[in-house]
Amino acid sequence: MATHFKRKGKRVLGVGRQDAIRFFFGGNAMISTFVLGAICIFLAREAAMFFPQHQRELEVFRLTGQEYTNFVIEEMDEYTEVKSLTNQAFYQEMNEAYGIQRGLVDSFGALSGNLFDDGEDLIEELEDARDAVDDADEEEAKTLAQTELDGIQAKWDNFLQAELGKADRTAVDSFGRLGKKEWQELLDAMTAWDPVEDQPPALVEAAKSEMNKGMAAFDAARMLIGSAGSELSKLRGELIKVTTAIKDEAVADKSSAARKKALLEGSVNAATKEDRARLKEQAEKITIRKNFPYAERITALEGSREKHKAAIAALEADLKPGIAALPTDLASAQAQDLVSRIREKGPELIAYLDQSLQESADWRYDQPVSWITSVTSFFFGKDWVTNSSFHDFYGLLPLFTGSLLISIIALIVAIPFSLGAAIYVNRLAGPKQQNIIKPIIELIGAIPSVVLGFFGIIVLGEALREISQVPWLSWVPGFPMQERLNILNAGLLLALMAVPTIFTLCEDAINNVPSSFTEASLALGGSKLQTVMRVVVPTAVSGILAAILLGFGRVIGETMVVLLVAGNQIAIPDFGLGVGVITQPAHTMTGIIAQEMGEVTSGTIHYRALFSVGLVLFTISLLINISARRIIKRFGLAA
Amino acid sequence: MVTTSSQPTDAAEIASASAANNPNPIAKEDSMIEVDDVSFSYDMGKTNVLKNISFNIPAGKVTALIGPSGCGKSTLLRCLNRMNDLVDTSKVTTGQIRIMGQDINASDVDPIELRKQVGMVFQKYNPFPKSIYDNVAYGLRIQGIKNKSKLNEAVEKSLQRAALWSEVKDRLNSSALGLSGGQQQRLCIARTIAVNPRIVLMDEPCSALDPIATARIEELIAELQEEFTIVIVTHNMQQATRVSDRTAFFYLGELIEYNDTATIFANPSVRHTEDYVSGRFG
Repeated sequence: MATHFKRKGKRVLGVGRQDAIRFFFGGNAMISTFVLGAICIFLAREAAMFFPQHQRELEVFRLTGQEYTNFVIEEMDEYTEVKSLTNQAFYQEMNEAYGIQRGLVDSFGALSGNLFDDGEDLIEELEDARDAVDDADEEEAKTLAQTELDGIQAKWDNFLQAELGKADRTAVDSFGRLGKKEWQELLDAMTAWDPVEDQPPALVEAAKSEMNKGMAAFDAARMLIGSAGSELSKLRGELIKVTTAIKDEAVADKSSAARKKALLEGSVNAATKEDRARLKEQAEKITIRKNFPYAERITALEGSREKHKAAIAALEADLKPGIAALPTDLASAQAQDLVSRIREKGPELIAYLDQSLQESADWRYDQPVSWITSVTSFFFGKDWVTNSSFHDFYGLLPLFTGSLLISIIALIVAIPFSLGAAIYVNRLAGPKQQNIIKPIIELIGAIPSVVLGFFGIIVLGEALREISQVPWLSWVPGFPMQERLNILNAGLLLALMAVPTIFTLCEDAINNVPSSFTEASLALGGSKLQTVMRVVVPTAVSGILAAILLGFGRVIGETMVVLLVAGNQIAIPDFGLGVGVITQPAHTMTGIIAQEMGEVTSGTIHYRALFSVGLVLFTISLLINISARRIIKRFGLAA
Repeated sequence: MVTTSSQPTDAAEIASASAANNPNPIAKEDSMIEVDDVSFSYDMGKTNVLKNISFNIPAGKVTALIGPSGCGKSTLLRCLNRMNDLVDTSKVTTGQIRIMGQDINASDVDPIELRKQVGMVFQKYNPFPKSIYDNVAYGLRIQGIKNKSKLNEAVEKSLQRAALWSEVKDRLNSSALGLSGGQQQRLCIARTIAVNPRIVLMDEPCSALDPIATARIEELIAELQEEFTIVIVTHNMQQATRVSDRTAFFYLGELIEYNDTATIFANPSVRHTEDYVSGRFG
């Protein structure tokens, strides 16, 4: 019976051709699934091991008193910010109100400096000749010396004349503070300048005293603010020294057992007798303690609490009158802005200092560190500091903020472009335009990201900075830009990378809107544009939303461009600037992994911290993809 | 297509066989739509899918277009509101279509304005994925009407005229896609008549509906006839006899016979018409 329906074809080990093909494809699918699973497990394992390790690090941070020191460091940082704002305001104001005077003083400094450099020998001769005239006792010798001096003096005068003649105004007065007239006046005054006595011309002196007089009130306030933190600064230095020493000792203690063992082994295997003896002696010196005596060491720090209190009191005592004394009626709008920011920040700073003092007073070195702290200080930590001589911080917040800001800018820019292009291509353009526009936009996705990053550094960064320096654009928040590589620049480039993704998916979504809807709208007397806006886009909105989400996933995972263009400054950008925050540099989650992963030793806490960042990124991407799928499934058209 | 060998196979032959192509012409002054020697092509004039069609459609009556698949009746219907403009390569190659005396393919005619006067109901009901209210108000809104009470009034009136008001008045804000098929089609009719067109074109409006829903639509057509000129394409002979006053029979892009519905079905002058209406081919 079976002969009629017998399987045809050769079978190897009972496996036919059809089976082999099936196993091949099945195997491929299985391997992909397996690899993905393995990656997930590996990532999760490395990342999960970070938290207990982090907890131990934080324990040491507390036991050694470094945590207490950190209170002082942060207080100092906050205060320094106000101080530097004050300095910025001061110099802005000085440049604005006393630009010419400052130009005269600086230009004189530069000119005389050049003269000292170029005429060094001549000046020395002149000095010697003058001394010779003064030292000469006899009449005859005096005359002789005088003649020589006259000769040298004439030579100097010629040299001075020549030097002043060829002085380049743009090189000396590089900020362009002086007009032609002032420059000429300065040169004229300089002709009588004597290098030996080195007295500035009356013109410069007058400018200097005018400037000093005008800025005196501001300067006094600035000095008051500037010196307010001197005690705190001293305390900071002391504490860092003390607590770092404790930590170093504790760390060395921890490895003492291992070191002793290594030395003893060495003492057995060493070549010479002397070496053996020496190594043995060294090994015996090492005492192994079961517990490091933190309590004993920390007493050095306990005495600082009173000092800390006094330093804060001193700071506040100077800061308040200092800020109050800042002049209100300023010539420079930027300085005015800065001063009002300082006035806002002053009370905030004082409140912060009081709170921090309170917290530090409640601080105990032997309080246990819970695992929750280990987790929260990773997710909400404001600092990411590695390879520090003081303490390493692994806080995600600056990286997360950077990634998020850059992605948001990228999306804000990319969405209108890609959606508009998708609508145009799918609904309004003729077939010819479609055939040109679609491939071009899709081709953007083919640009290697490193090339885009290069473009961002060389072209876009430069262009943005030039634009931001145009005077009539100074009202734009964040302009003029301080940094060429910043969030805005990276965001714009990422927008370019997101456009093909969002465009293609949006176009699909719009294309999926049944033509019956379009026909119904047109048959009711709707124009093409009305049909698109009132029927097509609302119907495709779920697809468009999914496209935007996937675009977001695309940009938040992008590495090369942000690494090259975002400026890589690990700090939470200053949101005090409002929208202008986007002109600041930032670092990203992807960028930090790319930058630091190559340099860390595997198994260290730094290595695991990077894995944790990776896991966070992976989770974000996963969530984005899942929600995009959900949206399409739930709200997608059945058609 | 043709079931018996004795039947003439070429449409031109049939047309020439009929002595009077338009035995019962409508007086020009009574007609709403005049189709005058119209040929139409989907491929820039290479092949015509409509060939020299001439007939007048009377105002305030229901005119049915019948014929086997591919005979061009739907194409003709879509010529009447210029929906064929959506196909880039389509073209009226000869003749004129005049609605209320105006050539609708003239260069100064805006198809958007034309479609406000010539509404259309499609074969497959196609309400927008919006609320019932928004569906009916759509045509008015795109004309720029924003006045809430005006819209409310128009929506209510249109739904009443479409015999849907009592069924949906409590859920005007729920999605139109939650209605039954027959209700959705009546909603589409309400949406079409909300903008007060002169003419309503219906392209096999009942082909996707069950018999009960079909009956309701047919009743509705009879009522709407008082206010609108209705042109309906149908595959269903019974439906044509039930709802229409006049019937045009098309075959292979040509108008074979056009007459009062009663005459067409009871006493057609062309043999071919008789074969079709009696179900001998089709």
